[in-house]
Amino acid sequence: MRKRMDRIKATARWACFCLVLVAMAFPSVVRGQGAVRAGLENQFVRTVQPFLKAYCVTCHGSQQPAAQLDLSGFTTMAALMQDGRRWSQMLERVEAQEMPPKGARHPMPQERREAVNWFHAVREREIRRNAGDPGVVLARRLSNSEYNYTIRDLTGVDIRPAREFPVDPANTAGFDNSGETLAMSPTLLRKYLAAAREVASYMYLKEVGFAFAPHPMLVETDRDKFAVHQIIDFYHRQNTDYADYFQTAWRFRHRAALGQPNATLAGLAKQQGVSAKYLETVWSALESKEDAGPLVKLQALWRALPQPRANQPNVERAGCEEMRSYIAEVRKKVEPRFINITAGPIGTAWQPLLIWKNTQYATHRRKFDPRQLQVQGEPLFNQKDVVEPEWDNAFGPGKTILVENEPGDPDLFVPAGERARYEAAWGRFCNVFPDMFYKESRGRNYFKTGKDEGRYLSAGFHNVMGYFRDDQPLYDLLLDKKQQAALDEKWRAMDFVASINIRTYVEFAKLGTRGTRDDFKDGEPEVREIEVEDIVSEAKIRKLEADYLEVAKGGNNVAIQAVKDFFDQANQSIRWVQQARHDAEPSHLQSLYDFAARAYRRPLTPADRADLLSFYREARERYSLDHEGAMREAIVLVLTSPNFCYRAGPIEGSGAIQPRTDLDLASRLSYFLWSSMPDQELLRHAATGDLRKPEVIKAQARRMLQDTRSRALAVEFGGNWLGIRDFEQIGTVDRERFPAFDNELKEAMWEEPILFLLDVFRHNRSILDFVFARDTFVNPTLARHYGMPPGADGAWVRVPDAGRYGRGGLLPMAAFLTKNAPGLRTSPVKRGYWVAKNVLGEQIPPPPAVVPELPSDEAKMDLSLRQMLEQHRANPACAGCHARFDSFGLALEKFDPVGKQRSQDLGGRAVDAQATFPGGVEGEGLEGIRQFIRGHRQNDFVRGFTGKLLAYALGRSLELSDELLIQDIGSKLASDGYRFETVVDSIVTSRQFLNVRGREQLVANKR
Amino acid sequence: MTNTRSERAPSRRTLLRGAGVTMALPWLESLSGFGIGSASAATTPAPPQRFAVLFMGTGISPGRWWAKGAGAELELGESLAPLEPIKRKVNVIDGLFNREATGQGIHPAMTGNMLSGVPISKGSIIHGGITVDQVLANRIGQETPQPSMVLACERAMTGFHESNFSNAYSSHISWQSSDSPVPNEMYPSLAFDSLFENGGRLRNTSVLDRVKEHAAALGGKISAADRLKLDEYLASVREVERGIQRMRTDKDKAEERARDTGRPLLAMKRPQDGLPEDIRDHIRLMCDIVALGFQTDKTRVASLLLARDLSALYYPFLGVSKQHHGASHYDTEEDYQKIVLFQVSQLAYLAQRLDAMAEGEGTVLDNSCLLFLSNMWSGAKHDNKKVPVITIGGLGGKLETGRALDYFTSGDDNRKLCSLYLGIMDRMGVELKEFGDAETRLAGF
Repeated sequence: MRKRMDRIKATARWACFCLVLVAMAFPSVVRGQGAVRAGLENQFVRTVQPFLKAYCVTCHGSQQPAAQLDLSGFTTMAALMQDGRRWSQMLERVEAQEMPPKGARHPMPQERREAVNWFHAVREREIRRNAGDPGVVLARRLSNSEYNYTIRDLTGVDIRPAREFPVDPANTAGFDNSGETLAMSPTLLRKYLAAAREVASYMYLKEVGFAFAPHPMLVETDRDKFAVHQIIDFYHRQNTDYADYFQTAWRFRHRAALGQPNATLAGLAKQQGVSAKYLETVWSALESKEDAGPLVKLQALWRALPQPRANQPNVERAGCEEMRSYIAEVRKKVEPRFINITAGPIGTAWQPLLIWKNTQYATHRRKFDPRQLQVQGEPLFNQKDVVEPEWDNAFGPGKTILVENEPGDPDLFVPAGERARYEAAWGRFCNVFPDMFYKESRGRNYFKTGKDEGRYLSAGFHNVMGYFRDDQPLYDLLLDKKQQAALDEKWRAMDFVASINIRTYVEFAKLGTRGTRDDFKDGEPEVREIEVEDIVSEAKIRKLEADYLEVAKGGNNVAIQAVKDFFDQANQSIRWVQQARHDAEPSHLQSLYDFAARAYRRPLTPADRADLLSFYREARERYSLDHEGAMREAIVLVLTSPNFCYRAGPIEGSGAIQPRTDLDLASRLSYFLWSSMPDQELLRHAATGDLRKPEVIKAQARRMLQDTRSRALAVEFGGNWLGIRDFEQIGTVDRERFPAFDNELKEAMWEEPILFLLDVFRHNRSILDFVFARDTFVNPTLARHYGMPPGADGAWVRVPDAGRYGRGGLLPMAAFLTKNAPGLRTSPVKRGYWVAKNVLGEQIPPPPAVVPELPSDEAKMDLSLRQMLEQHRANPACAGCHARFDSFGLALEKFDPVGKQRSQDLGGRAVDAQATFPGGVEGEGLEGIRQFIRGHRQNDFVRGFTGKLLAYALGRSLELSDELLIQDIGSKLASDGYRFETVVDSIVTSRQFLNVRGREQLVANKR
Repeated sequence: MTNTRSERAPSRRTLLRGAGVTMALPWLESLSGFGIGSASAATTPAPPQRFAVLFMGTGISPGRWWAKGAGAELELGESLAPLEPIKRKVNVIDGLFNREATGQGIHPAMTGNMLSGVPISKGSIIHGGITVDQVLANRIGQETPQPSMVLACERAMTGFHESNFSNAYSSHISWQSSDSPVPNEMYPSLAFDSLFENGGRLRNTSVLDRVKEHAAALGGKISAADRLKLDEYLASVREVERGIQRMRTDKDKAEERARDTGRPLLAMKRPQDGLPEDIRDHIRLMCDIVALGFQTDKTRVASLLLARDLSALYYPFLGVSKQHHGASHYDTEEDYQKIVLFQVSQLAYLAQRLDAMAEGEGTVLDNSCLLFLSNMWSGAKHDNKKVPVITIGGLGGKLETGRALDYFTSGDDNRKLCSLYLGIMDRMGVELKEFGDAETRLAGF
């Protein structure tokens, strides 16, 4: 085992070593400038090396180097050049005369100048020599976040299987999206396998193709839940509120007065969220000529609706609701009722008889009971003599509650001799206004539904499962052809996906009436768990039917027919599902190919298809998996394949620098802006070959920023850029001292910068808004924390004048103030460091190993933090760095450890937000920082942000060869108001982004 | 590394099918790297602890289910008679209950949280909690090829009970998360395969074989530097493969050693495909598989659903014409007593099987804890104010046995099922601060 691990490590080390070779030798592949280089070499030996020796290595030597910077190895120019990032930093400090520090031996001005000039010359040369070099962008696995997002977009379900993966390390730019740090290990590979199996468990087969459910689909319970909720969700999406239809019809009637003279019924239906089809029907009914029955009164109510009034937006609503109530009221009076039936000795609770009853109700929803009409001169409908069998059976459907109307009910009044005319009128009314559009839950007792709420689609059997469809009015009146097909498919999925028909029948066959087999006193037809295939075979179904018909002998004809219908229906639907499953298999394989192509982010080759097909067959034959099991297995293969979990672009040409292939470019763009796979549109452009055209790739980038998936850019880029990617796991806040800091507030704190970033991305705002904006986003929780009036209904809103509450832009956001405070006190050091490093992009060396600890609780300190930091800065060894950032943190002292505004610290001392910024500029508070940045450091911010976004987009750390691009973006920004899209446009059309180093680079250099 | 198609070994399943028998080694002999005959007391590790839960729905025969005394003097009621031969290893625990399962409705509401102790949700969104066996599977189960076995002798039912709880709660006693039960394995043949083939892992080798090919194909199209990154992937694939291979080789070697030294080799015929016609055969096979899994240390956690809640099992061989659930409504009558006696005999069968397997100083049973329980005390009254509980086995000396305990009058806070589970988990080295509705251990257990 150990040997194995060593080998893996050795491979990794070898990879690193080779990369260094690449980085070093690459320039010579591009172009050699021998003479210039020789001159610089010469100068290095003459002036720079002695300079380093004399003034630097005393502290920055190999023994405990200050700031962990060891310069002793820089004995040749080549060695120095390898570490461009470091010496760029050195140059800055030496040039600013911050180094060597106070108290150390200082060079003569002339010496300093010569050294600095040399560095500049080398730097300039490096910047230009390889400008636009794509750099070393290694093949790599998907990062954990990318894995999750990609699975989401591939399956349509947010499964997040990478939650169990170890945390990805970040590269030197602070991002976890580069091959430098994304390694593979046996442990991780095992997790990949497990993750692939987890995702595969969400798959379900459809009549055509397959899809993924929002939960695993391995147990029948989960399949049930899925199939039922598909239907319920569909029902709930339909608007069946009569009042809404009347209101929309009213808007149509008054369209001119309401300022929409050209409005159509269909157009308004869409606008108001009602069914266009049903609105037409309702409109016709309301506007039809009617002289009898309930429609007369309804039309009167309709005509009595008020005229639109400018100052009363909902003037018609009450009247529409009255119309709705009227329908409900009269509809109830004529509802048909069906007395429970028995079949010979078999009771009312028997499934075929319950199904019969359910069917009666389901098929009479648009009909009415004409016996309820009170015709002058005819005797009233008398139900006193109705005898219901088994009305007191505790396991039966219970007593049917009959409809009883008061004599002389004006709604039911029919003049003598007018029955026919009134029945026709009632028929017309009831045909348009059903007593119910669909029945979503049903209990054992048909009329006591309260108890059964949530028993979705249940057929109302005792103890055993069973579902019943009752939605014909919805289907016929509201749904268009496409919706009808969709609903039918969902009902078929009950059987196809969840085997409802088969399982219901098997339970029925085993349990018979009300969960016991009392109906067969002697000799049970089935007594054991025998194979399902056997129970549901046509022969066995017919045998059981014959047995029951024998028992039911003597029952009435309706009941006998119900028995026959029941078995016919069961047989038919089981035969259908078996055939349909068999017929669907080829489409599942096709779906597997499509799935793999999307997972691999490229069209499949014939070899890919052959591979998948043979693997599927192997799974069926070698492991005896059934079709579904083998499909799942093939999904596991696809998701474990490097074609899915690695991003390794093929390289087609043989030059030192190659254009990325179109498909590779599509992935590069989508992983930049979405952290996920490309969508169909991107792949289409890749296939057309025009993605690399500047106008196309820019347009695509903009489209992608508008897409919801660009949230990943805010979370993954923004979160890492601003150092709060792990904010949700923050554990430093003492919740007892800060009880307001609950999970809700924590989540709100995290969401605020994300929404702000997205607003900048999607509205092409100025990137300077990150620092200077006056607006921000809050929900009621965060608003309360910020002392803003909490908005309504829990939603996130943009607060344009957040400046009034001391907020606006990133700097005063609670997430950063909290993240950079250690708990019971603030930390001007951490907050200041965050401003300098994350916002202004400064490179600050790590603190020395031994730093004095500040007390952890403000309430227990003798001095204020400000005073203690002053003492700390009095030590010149500390001042070098602290002078660069403490002031920003001190200016933020009026925010407490959880980012709330304060005037006293936890020890009761008044807080002071006065600060002397680097260079001696005085300022106070947030506004002071902003003014300082605007006046002195705006370019640093712009440069810092641009560089970070570029590093993130390229998936590597930046090199000097990127410098010109950054400068170029900077000048473009200055001339166009610092628009965010300018940065994105420049990045995606840059040579770095569009190209890749050639495939032979390494081999050529490896000697 | 040169595992080409032609050299690939025939699949394990083919072998099993061919022979129809698998051979496996008891726990100690199958330990990898365990030297031949060099075992001394000092180097022999303590035998592993196992836990199995057996469930039967709709209560027992009140009045015939009791125990008194202790040890050799332990006296067992009529329903518990089958446990007589091993009564020194038995605890009969009366008076425990599951608070969250009371007052919600009958049947599924009394069952869905038997082993988790958390409230369960009504309606079509199923929500409960992870059960004690799965907590153990997640912890100690990681040390064996199969974290747990979840077996059932009766098909699950779904849909709704009129108490508005899903019938899924009646059908599954083991839940892996708050949202999903563990799928029940009903087929003895498949339970057997999963134990001895480690199906998932074997299938993984097929996946790994393929992805190596994918990586090779991909490697031809990318830069040399990228190939180095891909090598990292390949190296990982090979290492995972080797791990699977190693497990198989270890087993082969151990078997060989055992054969050479005449140590015991267990053999069990692979059950036939399909469901046994007779419930007696079905339960027996499932018990044999649990016993074999425990003895050979393929798994340390099992759950076996003998008869679910609302059980539709028939017992024609007992001369009972009603099905299980129907009969439970007359739980003072002889018919239901026959059913209870039959199910307790199954428990006794499994216990005696394990007790016949020598291990360390004692038997496999001595290192295990079998937990038998039902969701009601009386099916006729749908009464679960207390539920019947039996434990068998001493968990390697950690659990005192041969006792009759009654907590009924100890006060509701001191008679929680979850307190019992905490006590069992403690003894298996899984110490939780709280579980389900309990934060305290059962006193005197």
